[in-house]
Amino acid sequence: MKIRVVTMGRHYHETEDLPEFLELQEQASLDQAIERLRQLLPPGVDFPGSCLIALSGKHVGSIDSHSAVPLSDGDELMLLAPVAGG
Amino acid sequence: MNLSPAEKERYARQLGAGVLSEEGQLNLRRSTALVTRVGGMGGPAALMLTMAGVGRVIIAHGGDLISPDLNRQVLGSEAVIGQPRAPHFADYLRSMNRFVEVDYVDHEPSDSEALELVRKSNIVLSCPPTFAERLRLNRAATEAGIPLIDAAQWGMTGTMMVVRAGLTACLQCVYPQPPPFEEFFPVVGAISSAIGSLAALEAIKILSGTGHPLFGKMLTYDGFQGRATTMELTRAVDCPCCGNL
Repeated sequence: MKIRVVTMGRHYHETEDLPEFLELQEQASLDQAIERLRQLLPPGVDFPGSCLIALSGKHVGSIDSHSAVPLSDGDELMLLAPVAGG
Repeated sequence: MNLSPAEKERYARQLGAGVLSEEGQLNLRRSTALVTRVGGMGGPAALMLTMAGVGRVIIAHGGDLISPDLNRQVLGSEAVIGQPRAPHFADYLRSMNRFVEVDYVDHEPSDSEALELVRKSNIVLSCPPTFAERLRLNRAATEAGIPLIDAAQWGMTGTMMVVRAGLTACLQCVYPQPPPFEEFFPVVGAISSAIGSLAALEAIKILSGTGHPLFGKMLTYDGFQGRATTMELTRAVDCPCCGNL
């Protein structure tokens, strides 16, 4: 299956080179998708534990704590590193 | 009490089909909004609420204005550098609309102060730099049972979420632990103003009873890549802030 990847939020420039689309085996899990993305990050860069995860527009938790939702072909996986700033 | 002729003249461009009804404008006039802080995002938000005619705007912001603030803090000016922000920002807001009462708090409110301020208000616009303060305002708004709009930014990106505790995810449902604080975060003033103005628009919609507020959603704008998305937020059943509602 193929999913779209969107990263944004704090330190967004560090994930700029991630691919827009990710090819995964059928029935791949959310954790497998995140692990694949982690392997593609530059050395020393990682998603923070508080990074929010949304699957096709629905919030499913954070890197540290999320539901084991199944992935489907065409899903959009958004990873949002929390921002504050005043 | 109806709008006076002077008020009708002032708000002529925002009264009518697709914008506010006269009743909606009166609802704004009867409302109090708390905006904390009033820097990059809260400043434009407070300005838009004042110009729109929210009856009372309470701002909270401590410290003195410094030169680097002026890439985004629209309530400041060169003349105010080195002086306390809150009274000057309040004066500027007052200068923009004689029909609006503006009060200020010149420091970061404590837990008890936040709750006291929130209880005087109909809505909270949360725009501080730390999650500790955001979560404090979220707790106060939850306890007082009023809506909260949380606006945040980093670099050229921003997020905004609209909370109605008990009915939608609250800030603590989304961030059970405060994410790390970064004191010298980068930011371009244009994103601050954009996110602050959108937060004000949501507040105006909620207070006036107009349109469809983004309750339970997080709007994200990635100005670096040029894309906007909306995320539907999920309540945490065990949330220590709103789980019992």
